[in-house]
Amino acid sequence: MSPDETANELVLAFADDELCVGQNHSWWIAVGPFLEEDLAFTSIAQDELGHARALYSLLSDDLDHIAYGRPHQEYRSSHIAELLCHDWTSALVRHVLHDLAEEVRWAAMLDSTWVELATIATRAAAEEQFHVQHGLTLLRRLLSTPEGQLRLSSTLIDLAPKGREYFAGSDSGLVTSGILNTSLADQERTWMKRIDDLLAEFELNVDWSGEPPSQGRYGTRSRDFSTLHDEMVAVLQIDPLANW
Amino acid sequence: MVAKAAIDAVRAAVASVADPEYPDLNIQQLGILEDVVADRSSIRVDLVPTIMGCPALDVIEQDVVAAAQASGHDVTVRFCMSPPWTPDRITDDARKILAREYSVAIRPRNGVTSCPLCGSTALQPRSDVGPTACRSVEWCPNCRNPVEVVRSREMGQK
Repeated sequence: MSPDETANELVLAFADDELCVGQNHSWWIAVGPFLEEDLAFTSIAQDELGHARALYSLLSDDLDHIAYGRPHQEYRSSHIAELLCHDWTSALVRHVLHDLAEEVRWAAMLDSTWVELATIATRAAAEEQFHVQHGLTLLRRLLSTPEGQLRLSSTLIDLAPKGREYFAGSDSGLVTSGILNTSLADQERTWMKRIDDLLAEFELNVDWSGEPPSQGRYGTRSRDFSTLHDEMVAVLQIDPLANW
Repeated sequence: MVAKAAIDAVRAAVASVADPEYPDLNIQQLGILEDVVADRSSIRVDLVPTIMGCPALDVIEQDVVAAAQASGHDVTVRFCMSPPWTPDRITDDARKILAREYSVAIRPRNGVTSCPLCGSTALQPRSDVGPTACRSVEWCPNCRNPVEVVRSREMGQK
C-alpha cells in the first residue's frame, strides 16, 4: 500500500470504530441507569457519530453509502467497538477504554500533514476531553465502592486487552510522511500505561500478555456486528429514500 | 464572478434562518453563520456547527438553501470545523432572549457564569450534559431555579 492508501485505511478504521461505538451507545437512550447518565450517554453517542461523519467525509462524498452500504467484510472496525454492551457494566467499561484510546488517537493527528484530518482531530479532541472526564469520574466513583469493584473489575480486566485492537492495522510510512506524529505501537503503549495507572489506583492488574487482537482491521467481523449493522440500516431498509 | 450585491442579498436572506432548537433566534445571532462567499461562479454559505455531531445540521442546511433560493440565488453549504464554535459567538441581543425565554445562561470563556434569572454567580453544577451536548444543567441556590448553561467545548474549557 502507498502511504496515501495506508492513511485512508487508518481513517476508515477510526471512522468505523466511531460509527459502531456511537450506534452502540445509542442503545442506552431512555434506558440509562439514571437520568443524567442517560443524557450524557446520548450526547456522547451523538458526538461519536459526528466524529465518524467527519472522518468518512475525508474518504467519500456519499456518506450514507460509506457508513451503511458497504459489504460487511469491507468494514474495518475493531471488535471491541462492535461489541453489543447491553449490560451497564460492559457499556461503561467500553466507554472508558474507547474514549481513552480516542484521546490518544486524535492527539497523534493534531498536527497532521493531512490538513483536513488535523482540523477534524483538533475539533474532536476538544469534545473528547468531556467524554474522558465523564467516563473516568463515574468509573472511579463506582470502583471506590465494594459493589462497584465486584461488578466492574472482572469486566475491566477482560475487556482491556481487547482494546488493543484500537491500535491494530498498518501505519507504514505514516510517521515519516507526517500524517501521524506517533506510531500506532507508541500510541498503544501510551494507552496501556493510562489503563495500568487507572487500575493501579484500585489495586487491579490487566494481563496484557496475550496476542493483541487485530482481525477486525482485516475484514473479519465479530459475531455482534450483523445485529449492530441491521439496527443501523433498519430505517434505510424500510425506505431507501428516507430523510430526516 | 459573483456580484457583491448577490452575496449581500444571500447574506441578508440566510441570516434570518431560524435555529431549529431556539426558533426565536436565528443562525446569525447564535454565531452559526460564519460567512457568505463567492466560490468560483456560485455562492457558498459557511456554517459553524456548535458540535460536530449536531443532528440539526441537515435541517439548517435545507433551511439555508431554501432561504437563499427565496432571494433568487442557489447556494451550496459548507460546515466548517475551524474556527470552532464557542458561546462567545452568540450576540448580546440573543443572550437576552435566551435568558428571558429559555432560562439559558452563557458561560463566558474563562469567566464566571451568572444566573439568567437573578444574576447570582453561585451556580452549582448538576449534570454535565443537559438536553443537548452543548448545554449543561446547573442549579441556582439563590433563586432556586434550574438553569441551562451553554458552554464551550474547546480544549481546556470546563
